Amino acid sequence: MSQVESSALFNIKNVMAQGMCAPVNVSISAGQTWMVVGSSGTGKSQFLKSLADLIVHQGEVFLNGVNQQAMLPEQWRRQVMYFPAETAWWQDSIVAHFDTLPDQAMLQSIGLPWSILQKNPDECSSGEKQRLALLRGLSYQPSILLLDEITANLDVEASIRVEELLQNYLKTPVLSAQIGGGQGDLSLLKRGGSGVENLSPPQKAIIWVSHDVAQRKRMAPVVQHLVFKTEVS
Amino acid sequence: MITISYWDLLTLSSLVFLLGGALWLNGFSKVGGLYWATLRMVVQLLFMGVWLSWVFHSDNPIWVILIGFVMLVAGGYEISKRQQYRFKKMHSFLIGLLSLSFISLILLIGVLVFIIQPDPWHQPQYLIPLLGMLLGNSMTAIGLGLDTLTRNAVQLKHKIEAQLALGKTAKESMQFIKEQSLHSAMIPIINMLVAAGIISLPGMMTGQILAGADPVEAVKYQIMVMLLIATSTGAGTLLAVQLASRRLFDERQRLQLSQLEKV
Repeated sequence: MSQVESSALFNIKNVMAQGMCAPVNVSISAGQTWMVVGSSGTGKSQFLKSLADLIVHQGEVFLNGVNQQAMLPEQWRRQVMYFPAETAWWQDSIVAHFDTLPDQAMLQSIGLPWSILQKNPDECSSGEKQRLALLRGLSYQPSILLLDEITANLDVEASIRVEELLQNYLKTPVLSAQIGGGQGDLSLLKRGGSGVENLSPPQKAIIWVSHDVAQRKRMAPVVQHLVFKTEVS
Repeated sequence: MITISYWDLLTLSSLVFLLGGALWLNGFSKVGGLYWATLRMVVQLLFMGVWLSWVFHSDNPIWVILIGFVMLVAGGYEISKRQQYRFKKMHSFLIGLLSLSFISLILLIGVLVFIIQPDPWHQPQYLIPLLGMLLGNSMTAIGLGLDTLTRNAVQLKHKIEAQLALGKTAKESMQFIKEQSLHSAMIPIINMLVAAGIISLPGMMTGQILAGADPVEAVKYQIMVMLLIATSTGAGTLLAVQLASRRLFDERQRLQLSQLEKV
């Protein structure tokens, strides 16, 4: 048992927050995608927020054996990153929200033009903003992606592109280049020196809440399921 | 100096009474509030007048301390009363009181000991009016700054949490709101400084001139007071905004809006 746990990338033990019906225990290995399934009001968002330590919760979470509470909250959240359905923007232009610019190929791969970076967030559609918020988060190279209905405002084609991007992201080692390369490489390498390096490279996983049945079907061959029930079992 | 009688004041107060009637006819619903505030102003000032003449004659510093204490506590109370979202367990009051007293008292004592140098330095004739002017202005600014901070924290909650989720610190995530709070607190002071001497003749200087002082000397006093007011409001607001935004997060840098209650 303990050997299984130590080999896991992300360990969730008895995590429970207000709004959740039962504590959750799950061991997640590198490269896995977990779909969180369950009807509305079973606390799925609360669960994801607990994992990112954004809300008060019980239980313990470990990333590579390191306890959530033993890490500074801002460091933990940069590695275990929560992506809400409703994106938020606090500057006047999209580009001001990026510490590292996404590369053009990556933008194109999810159907966004390079020029969109110069726009005011208010001028973008919610679907565009969802994709931009995803790139904004991925630019920090998090290990665990906590996705809370991040394709809710996308059409099927765009959703599929996002799914592909995420599966590619899972396979890309943290320190090496993403699609395209170029100047993106350098900045990623520099970032790697500042603290991501003590994690062994391609260690990534996804926990995904989605109500989109078609999406769950498309993803079915590559995912594990985590079922949230209304009743305490 | 030409004195005014109580009858004169009574006659003048009929102006506000008539104003209330005119406002009421035009649909202003808070006429009662206006009358109550006016009445409070008269009673409070009369009390202060009586109290001050007692303190000036008694020559015992304990009274000065007592008056100062009452003024500070009342200031803290007014600040917490002006909040739309108040911190629970009296924390708005405490934050207000602390930021109000800390900066104002340091400035006040500094200016008395090193600049005006009355003998003794705590002579009430200088200490109490100066403290009153500092507190009046700081109180307004701190109240505004805190209100802007907490109201924005509630309304823009998702913008703060989005930044926290990206791994920014609580301090970084609050920066855009902090800027707005400082802005709304400082604008009235900056306007006051700009207007002084051209559009408005500040009250203290006017008072000294009415009492027969040399206008140039009165102006020098007024400049000193303006500098002190600008400093105490700015520094007080900075401190209050700092304390309040720290209070909005717990030890794991999670936004805790349950600290606030809507008034």
